[in-house]
Amino acid sequence: MNRAIVELTARQLLGQRRSLLLVVFALIPVGIALLYRFEGQQPNHVQWTANVLGARLIVGTLLPIAAVIFGTAALGSEFEDGTAVYLLSKPLSRSRVVLSKLLVAWLATGALVLASVLVAGAIAIRDIPDQGVLLGFAVAVAAGSLAYCSVFVLLSILTSRALITGLIYVFIWEGLMTALFSGTKVLSIRQYTIGVAKWLTTTSERTFAARLDGPEALALMVVMSILATWLAVRALARWEIGESG
Amino acid sequence: MSQRDEPAGSIYDLGYRRYDGPRLGRRHAMLSLYLFSLRGAFGLGRRTSSKIIPIAIAIIAATPAVIQLGVGAIVSSEHLHVIRPENYFNFIQIAVALFCAAVAPEVMGRDQRTRTLPLYFSRALLRSDYVLGKLAALWTALLFLTFVPQALLFLGNGMASSNSTGYWRDNWMDFPRIVASGALVAALFASLSLLVAAQTARRAYATVSVIALFVISSVISEVISGTAGGVWGQAAVLLTPFEVVRATILWVFQSNAESGSALAQADLPGYVFFAMLCAATAIAAWLVVRRYERIAV
Repeated sequence: MNRAIVELTARQLLGQRRSLLLVVFALIPVGIALLYRFEGQQPNHVQWTANVLGARLIVGTLLPIAAVIFGTAALGSEFEDGTAVYLLSKPLSRSRVVLSKLLVAWLATGALVLASVLVAGAIAIRDIPDQGVLLGFAVAVAAGSLAYCSVFVLLSILTSRALITGLIYVFIWEGLMTALFSGTKVLSIRQYTIGVAKWLTTTSERTFAARLDGPEALALMVVMSILATWLAVRALARWEIGESG
Repeated sequence: MSQRDEPAGSIYDLGYRRYDGPRLGRRHAMLSLYLFSLRGAFGLGRRTSSKIIPIAIAIIAATPAVIQLGVGAIVSSEHLHVIRPENYFNFIQIAVALFCAAVAPEVMGRDQRTRTLPLYFSRALLRSDYVLGKLAALWTALLFLTFVPQALLFLGNGMASSNSTGYWRDNWMDFPRIVASGALVAALFASLSLLVAAQTARRAYATVSVIALFVISSVISEVISGTAGGVWGQAAVLLTPFEVVRATILWVFQSNAESGSALAQADLPGYVFFAMLCAATAIAAWLVVRRYERIAV
């Protein structure tokens, strides 16, 4: 890690117009939770919070979109602006550059999604015992942010079209293919996240079901994050200055 | 004009001539822009790789009609209606959305990317004319998905039936309805996707933003209508273009939503959806015009 890079990246990420849009987007689950609280009809609050709010809205849309925007911008915007040359010609090991960038992307994504899930969840679940749903989703979302961001940072080094590739992964692969073919669950960070969330709750299968078992999901998530980070470090280490603009 | 063959200056005469041919004016400029954009929407006059996606999606949108006609030709049954005209949109909605995502950035952002926008704006064309020409082009392109297959289906069904004139006499009212519903669907999708595509000059961002608009609005609408009762749950179906369009088509055909669907649960009168569709189309078009009035070229 390098403090200067971390601070610089934080300024770059938070100063964009896109980040403001993301904050607005993170408020949508909160709004829907308020609507549920005052107008909702489902009797089972835990079930609604876990399936609709947690799995569908937050893990299904907010988390991947926040991660793809922060993850691909953290390092990708340096390539885009042509400032990567100045960064990479500093006497810093490339692995520290990657790790610093990844840390900021993870913190930005994690903080935004975590705030959304905790506030919206607390509103929706009311005063009844939540069977660990809030804690489960908080931990799962924090871990899922890291997995998503590491993959998207890797993408931003490999291709100059990381944003569109990442969104295709999120919408087409995770959204469409996983709905059609259940075998693709082992290659879907969304399913890992839901699996981990389920593992940490004490809810019954009927209330909240996940496609992957908890330990399996966590193991896949750890493997995916480490592999993506390692590949990102390797790809950046071999990136030669002057190779592309 | 009379002195056009006389030299204009004595020393520095470089032989420049005034243009005194016909000036075709604003209307002609708009028409040319419209035709050029419409051709561009299907990649005509461009390289092969930009033809593949729009034409493939248009073929996908026509596939249900072709299958129905093929089955009808073989089985030749009078009452075989696999696809009712009011349900046709349900089969092609994903194709329509993907077509918008692929084509709207071609129609809208291309002149900004190639920096030809100043050239357009220095002509007789007004900025609002430019936007309206582009809108009309995308609208017409979408008609090839939302109207043409159904019109072919209507004609083909009649020809396949043993009593063609009888078929057309019984079902002639369907034709104006097919025209109206196809035009309305195309108008909403064209103006919404151009509104999103106009926000950025970069094609990848525009494509993804259009897809994100469709996906996110559907998810939010679905979640709200599954969550809340009362007015909120009813109004939630108005949040996604797919349900608005489906309901408007049903209203045009004077038909009812399938029981159990989100529309049946919402149970709103059809003209509400029609009004929503018109309002959304008009507001989106106005916002695009406003953006182009202010854009710096």
